Amino acid sequence: MKLSTVLRRMRKSKLFMIGFTLLVIIFLVCGTSHFWVAWDAEQAVLRSRLAPPDWFANGLKGHPLGCDALGRDILTRLLEGGWVSLKITVLVTVISMIMGAFVGLVCGYYGGRVDMLVMRCCDILQAIPQLMLAICVVAVMGTSMFNLFFTLSVTGWIGTARLVRATVLGMKNKEFISASRVLGATGKRVLWKELFPNTLTPLLISASGHFGGTILLETSLSYLGMGVPVPTPSWGNLISDGRDYITSAPWVVIAPGIALMITILAFNFMGDGIRDVFDPKNTN
Amino acid sequence: MKNQRQHIRKRLLASVFVLIGVTIVVFALIRLGNGDPAAMMAGDLATPEEIEDYRIRMGLDKPLIVQYFTYMAGLFKGDLGYSYVYSMPVRDVLAKRMPQTLMLSLTGFAWSTVFSIVFGIVAGTHQGSGVDFAAMFFAVLGQAMSTVWLGFLLILIFGVKLHLLPIQGFGGIEHLIMPGLCCGFGQAASQTRLMRSSMVDVIHEDYITATRARGISRKVTNMKYALRNAMLPIVTNIGFAFGKLFAGSIVVENIFNWPGMGNLMVQAINSRDYQLVQSILLISSVMLVFGNLLADLLYTVVDPRISLN
Repeated sequence: MKLSTVLRRMRKSKLFMIGFTLLVIIFLVCGTSHFWVAWDAEQAVLRSRLAPPDWFANGLKGHPLGCDALGRDILTRLLEGGWVSLKITVLVTVISMIMGAFVGLVCGYYGGRVDMLVMRCCDILQAIPQLMLAICVVAVMGTSMFNLFFTLSVTGWIGTARLVRATVLGMKNKEFISASRVLGATGKRVLWKELFPNTLTPLLISASGHFGGTILLETSLSYLGMGVPVPTPSWGNLISDGRDYITSAPWVVIAPGIALMITILAFNFMGDGIRDVFDPKNTN
Repeated sequence: MKNQRQHIRKRLLASVFVLIGVTIVVFALIRLGNGDPAAMMAGDLATPEEIEDYRIRMGLDKPLIVQYFTYMAGLFKGDLGYSYVYSMPVRDVLAKRMPQTLMLSLTGFAWSTVFSIVFGIVAGTHQGSGVDFAAMFFAVLGQAMSTVWLGFLLILIFGVKLHLLPIQGFGGIEHLIMPGLCCGFGQAASQTRLMRSSMVDVIHEDYITATRARGISRKVTNMKYALRNAMLPIVTNIGFAFGKLFAGSIVVENIFNWPGMGNLMVQAINSRDYQLVQSILLISSVMLVFGNLLADLLYTVVDPRISLN
């Protein structure tokens, strides 16, 4: 598909545009927040412990979303935590896609014993529920930012590898591949110049669906104390921070949940939009 | 029929191999970790001799390969090992926790299945109506919600503000409502969407138009002719959902302090109770593999067009 067609369809797809615009705003606001927020995200200020939002009758001025149990401004933590969560999500998705694409391409194209072995390993890894596998890996390696990246990436590439492999299997006996071989192309060239570009569409669709799942998994892991190490804020940490204060200070937990929901909605909208854009039935 | 039996046999055999693979992965993974379970059991004030004594009693002094085969030999006899933290066989620990997890996850599974099918059908057959809008709203929002957050929200609304339901623990039916709701929410949302879009697709097929043209009422057409085909993707989805039952309960059990396996798993990991973690993972994997097998087989049963070659 030509790039101009893709761009035109993207512009025409309402879902894509809504999701995309929302994401640009979210990334910009969270990404630049470090330069303009008024408070420190990690420094405890015991004076303002669990202060309600400033538009409440007894609210504390200057804290539009209130403060958490250590008196830290929730808006500040929300924005900076958002950046942490978004970075993790995007990086993990990119790493998973690269790993998945590589394994899928090589296994699909060369086949044989290596393919057999790798696919059986995938079967085994997929037979362990992802959250449980992630918990075990984190428990073994300890909680740190790197380990979280590692865990989420290691458990996230398998579906993509299968998808890419299936795409390659469906294509490798097509005429254009044979033609390329007849013209003397090496296996490597066929793989990277002919097959790889044709797997980009399923890869992109798979990636767009991957974001939401990753960010939700980060939340679950952080809640179980196996995600981003405290005191670094992340949306998962922020939500689980509110655990003990649901009764006394519900604002601690409500804001990050809404932020998370809007972000996942935006990712999902964009994903659905991308699917429409690349849908062969689309005649726009 | 013969094909089918062969296919089932092949899939079953593959599943067994996958599960053996799972035992190897889990066994190796857990032992890679730092932290010495023998030292943990012996306590802070233990002398090196006492720790060594524990190590021998727990069988940790033997080479890994011997430990693995001892474990596997036990497994085939139905012995899941011994939990040193609880000082009883793993089987007994699990026997106490499993019914609660089953109860919780089956509740989530049941309501999400029934709800999503009914809601999806109504939405799909009334495209563009208020119900359709409500279904899509629910589906889109439900898929974007974190289970943790949903749990907190439920506690806040029904437990704290309205005082309708107990906010944690295990007991009567009222204790089951919020965790059960939480457990099935994501599945209900995604499956409602799937059911709706499947129904919409089928309704626009030529054979449905033809049926309507013969003067058969819309209701009969939808329920008798459209539904059977629209259910195909749902049936497999239900199989997958069944496999994920246990895995989903781990967070929910923690939120509501539900005395089940998910809660136990987190505790077991923190206390390096190897054999217990291994068994919980294995049981979850068995469920997952079984669910996938079920989905696969159901698919060939409900759709005779699929050939097994």
